[in-house]
Amino acid sequence: MEQKHKIVLALLLSAEEPLQEKHVERCLDTEVEMENIVNQLNYDLNRTDMPFEVQNVAGGYKVVTRARYEPWLNRLLQKSGDTTLSQAALETLAIVAYTQPTTKSEIDSIRGVNTSMKTLLDRELVEVKGRLDAPGRPLLYRTTDQFLEYFGISSLEELPKMKEIEEILEEQEDGN
Amino acid sequence: MDYQVKLDVFEGPLDLLLFFIKRDEINIHNIPIAYITEEFLDYIHMARKMDIQLAGEFLEMAVMLIRIKTKMLLPDQDQDEEEDIEDPRNELVDMLMEYKKYKKVSELLEDLEEKSGQHFTVQLDDHTEQDYDPDLFLSDVNLMELGTVFKELLQNMSEPSIYEVEKIELTTDDQQLHIIEKMGERSRISFTEITEELDNKIEVVVTFLALLELVKMDDYVVKQDELFEEIHLEKRKQGEEIGAKA
Repeated sequence: MEQKHKIVLALLLSAEEPLQEKHVERCLDTEVEMENIVNQLNYDLNRTDMPFEVQNVAGGYKVVTRARYEPWLNRLLQKSGDTTLSQAALETLAIVAYTQPTTKSEIDSIRGVNTSMKTLLDRELVEVKGRLDAPGRPLLYRTTDQFLEYFGISSLEELPKMKEIEEILEEQEDGN
Repeated sequence: MDYQVKLDVFEGPLDLLLFFIKRDEINIHNIPIAYITEEFLDYIHMARKMDIQLAGEFLEMAVMLIRIKTKMLLPDQDQDEEEDIEDPRNELVDMLMEYKKYKKVSELLEDLEEKSGQHFTVQLDDHTEQDYDPDLFLSDVNLMELGTVFKELLQNMSEPSIYEVEKIELTTDDQQLHIIEKMGERSRISFTEITEELDNKIEVVVTFLALLELVKMDDYVVKQDELFEEIHLEKRKQGEEIGAKA
């Protein structure tokens, strides 16, 4: 493994948040192509059958264990099944992700039911970003980097476009 | 004891309607409103019977369904041209279609959540330590090791803080004498004057108790003009009534 690659791996292992290209450049004091380096790192990690890999999330890179080690890690970290999000929370996140910045009344009207933002705010999956310039000046919500990290995606663009969702639904309807 | 039967939980009235539509293979653009209203009301009644608290939005939806049903039974008299009549179901269909899109997205998010949950972040940062289950590392600790740890803990405990408490040597008897000496031949003395040479609060308190003892002996009275004003000790004159004036 090249010296530079090893340094980047060390940085990735030590960073608290997903490491961005600019962070690496600052540390190495030179321009780097993170995509190339990460590809090479992943190739090496895979070739030597290491139990972890580099993942592109929330606009940066981090090291994660491979999926097949989940059962043992669950035991180590005492992770129980109920840490996943509720149906209501997932629906709310879906609406915020596609209509942000958005208000609670907008979310309520799409879901047809009163929505609590507390869990999502507590878990820092959504955040308040200002107020809408309308009567009552309601709070505006949007998704966070934590949201991207939680769902393992690098940016919102990775989610299918609304038009694509509509197409999927149409196909399903035709199938019925 | 009440038995509770678990009823399928729906996120809201729209979710419930989509369930009927899917279950009965209904075309969302041509909803048999009378049928679906009946199904919807049945569900509400069943939930009531089972003591399930339904959100108020379910009742609002029931009202909406009944309103649409009524409108469809009674064609608008004012409208002559049939093609201009708006289908009373349109608003509901729009709501359902909109909700369905986000429900689909929420399913995609759920898949992503599951996939992402299989990976654990590898990080050499120390704040991850608190996630470990401490019991896991106690499984093969023996008594000897526990004892050693306990001894170390005891040694590292901070010393108890020590401070001296001086014994108050003054007694009320001493202070009664002190008061009488201070007063000398005078018939009146202020409490401030009695206590002016004293060092601390406790001595003042003891002296005050001594003063009360003196008053008990009927030879003296204490006088105070107003609350918190100066207290005066006076020798009792002949013929004066017994008891202190406050």
